[in-house]
Amino acid sequence: MLALSVADLSVAYPGLAEPALDVAALDLGAGGCLAVTGASGSGKSTLVNMLTGLARPSGGRVAWGGVEISALGEAARDRWRAANVGLVMQDFHLFPGLSAVENVLLPARLARAASVAVRTRAHELLAEVGLSRPEQPVETLSRGEMQRVAVARAVLREPGVIVADEPTASLDAASGAAVADLLLSLAARLGSTLVLVSHDPRLIGRASRRVTLAGGRIVSDEGAAR
Amino acid sequence: MIRFILSDLRRMWAGALVVVLLVALAVALGVAVTLQERGLRLGSARAADKFDLIVGAAGGPTQLVLSSVFLQAAPLPLLPGETLQKLSSDPRVKWAAPIGFGDSVRDQPVVGTTTTLIAETAKGFADGRMFAQEDEAVAGAATDLAIGATVVPMHGLAGESTHQHADVRYRIVGKLKPTSTAWDRAILVPIQAVWHIHGLGEHDAHDEHDHHGFDADAALHEDWSDAELPGLPAILVKPKTIADAYKLRQDYRAAPTQAVFPAEVLTALYATMGDARAVLAAIAIGAQVLVAAALILVTVVHVGQRRRQIGALRAFGAPRGAVFALVWGELMALIGAGVALGYALGWGVSAALGAGFTAKNGVVLPVGFVPEDGIGVLALLGFAALLAAVPAWRAYAEPTVDALRA
Ligand SMILES: Nc1ncnc2c1ncn2[C@@H]1O[C@H](COP(=O)(O)OP(=O)(O)OP(=O)(O)O)[C@@H](O)[C@H]1O
Ligand SMILES: [Mg+2]
Repeated sequence: MLALSVADLSVAYPGLAEPALDVAALDLGAGGCLAVTGASGSGKSTLVNMLTGLARPSGGRVAWGGVEISALGEAARDRWRAANVGLVMQDFHLFPGLSAVENVLLPARLARAASVAVRTRAHELLAEVGLSRPEQPVETLSRGEMQRVAVARAVLREPGVIVADEPTASLDAASGAAVADLLLSLAARLGSTLVLVSHDPRLIGRASRRVTLAGGRIVSDEGAAR
Repeated sequence: MIRFILSDLRRMWAGALVVVLLVALAVALGVAVTLQERGLRLGSARAADKFDLIVGAAGGPTQLVLSSVFLQAAPLPLLPGETLQKLSSDPRVKWAAPIGFGDSVRDQPVVGTTTTLIAETAKGFADGRMFAQEDEAVAGAATDLAIGATVVPMHGLAGESTHQHADVRYRIVGKLKPTSTAWDRAILVPIQAVWHIHGLGEHDAHDEHDHHGFDADAALHEDWSDAELPGLPAILVKPKTIADAYKLRQDYRAAPTQAVFPAEVLTALYATMGDARAVLAAIAIGAQVLVAAALILVTVVHVGQRRRQIGALRAFGAPRGAVFALVWGELMALIGAGVALGYALGWGVSAALGAGFTAKNGVVLPVGFVPEDGIGVLALLGFAALLAAVPAWRAYAEPTVDALRA
C-alpha cells in the first residue's frame, strides 16, 4: 500500500573497511512485490533492518509513502513499524512460554486490538500455514513450524507493508509453497507492498521484481521496468 | 499481558524467587529493627505506667526502678520503716505500699506487698481472690501456678536461691489477669509474712503474742500507724495530684531516702543507652541502603535478562506503553511481593524476639505497626516504582536491532 523510496543508503559497521550496505537508489511502487537475494553476508538482513526501521542507516534515506523513516527517532520508528509493517525475522523471535496462537496474537493483544474477529483470524491463519496444534508451546515447535507461526504473526493485522527475511528457509517444498501462496495472495488481496528476502528460487521466481545483492551493493535488478 | 508476565516469571522462576527473597530479607531487617526498638520503648513505658513515685533508700535510682518495676533480682539498701508510716499519713498521698523482695520460687520472684497495691495496680483477678492471711498468696498471670497450689519460698533472689524456708508454705488463693509487665511473673504475698519469715518487725504491736515468726493463720494488718516497722527496700507511692507528686519527690529526695519517677528514670536510661540506639539506627539505615541496593541490582539484572525480549516486543509492534507496563509491572510485582514478605518476616522475627523477652522478663513488648509505617511502605514502593521506570524508559534509548542481538 506504501511506495518505497531508497536513496544513497549506506550502513557502515565499525571494524569493516567497506560499508555492509551501499544502495544508491531503490524504488518500489505501492503494492509492488520485491525479492532480494544474494550470497550469505551480502547485506540482505541489514537491508531489511533499514527498510523496517529496526535501525538507522549511517547515511542516506529510506522513505515509505513519503514518510522518511530514516529520520525518525527510536520510539517514532517503533510506532511507524507497528502501524505499517508485518515483519518476519530471520530468527523468528517468538516468545517462549506462550503457545503458537498466543504468539500470533501477542502484538495485537498488547496494542489492545485482539477483537474476536482477530482471534478467529489467528486460528484460521495457523490452519492455513499448516499448523494443526495452535495451543502447542512455541519452544517445542520444529524450526519449520516456528517459521510458519512467525509468518502468521506478521500478516495477522493486515499490514500495508510485509517484509519477510527468509520466510521459507526451513520449509520443505510443499509447506514452502503454501507459505509463499499465503504471503503473495494476502499481499495481492490487501494491496500490501511485499519485500521478500530469500535464497529459494521458487519463491524468488514468483516476485515481479528481483534484486541481487553482493557485498552490500545491488548487482542486478530485474523487472524494474515493468 | 498478565499471561505474558506469568509465563515469563514461570520461565525464570529461580531468578524471580531470588529477587523476592533478596528484597524480603533487606526489608525484614529494617522492619525488625524498627519494631524491636519501638516495642522496647512502649513495653517498658507500659510496665512503669502504674508506678507513679517510688521511694527507696538513697542510692542508684536506676537500680531502684529496675528492681521494683521490672523485679530485677538485685539487693537494694533498706530505708527506715517509719518512712512508710510518714508517707501513709501524708495528706498528699492517696496510698503508699511497701514492696519487699528477697525470696523466690523456681526463678519466680516472691514479692511482699499489700492488698491495696494489688487492688490498685493489677487488672483484677482472673480467678480466686485476694490473700487474707499470712500463708496465702496471689499468683501473677505468667506464673506456672494454679489456685490451690502450695509453694515453698527459697531465701534469696530469683536465680540465686540459697536455702528453703522450712515449714513456710504459701497457698495460692488467687490468680491475676495479665498486666503485660514483669509483675506477671511474680508471686505476691503479704509483706507481713515476709517480715515474719525473716524475723523482722519483732515489736509489731498487733502481734505481741506471736512474734517468733511465720504464723500461717495470722490475720493481716495493713495499718502500721503505731507499729515499729523493719527496713524496707522500696515503697510505691500514689500521690493525690501531679503537684503533690513533685512536692513528695522534693521532700524525699535527700538521704537517707530517694524518690524517683520511674518514667523519668527510664527516659534517662534510654538517653544513656544512646550508643546502643545509635547502633540500631545505623543498622536500620544500613538496611535501607541494602534495600535500595537490592532494588537497583534486581532492576538491572531483570532488565538485562530481558533485553532481547524487549527488543522483540518493540520489533513486532507492541506499543511503547505496553512494553513499559510489562517491564515495570513485572518488576513491581516482584518487588511488591518482596516488600510484603519482608514486612511479614520482620514482624515474625520481632514477635518471636518479643515473646522470648516476655518469657524471660515478663514485660510484654508490643510488636505492631503504627499508621506512620504505611508512609514508609509507600515511600519504599514509590522509590521502587521510580527505579523500575528507569530501565523501562531506557529501553527506548537503543535501536531495536541492538536489543535483539543482546
Ligand atoms: N552489528 C554488526 N557489526 C559488524 N558487522 C555486521 C553487523 N551486522 C552485520 N554485519 C556484517 O554485515 C554483513 C551483512 O550482514 P547481513 O546479516 O545483512 O547478511 P545477510 O545477507 O543477511 O546474510 P545471510 O544470508 O547469511 O543471512 C556481514 O558481513 C556481517 O558480518
Ligand atoms: Mg540474513
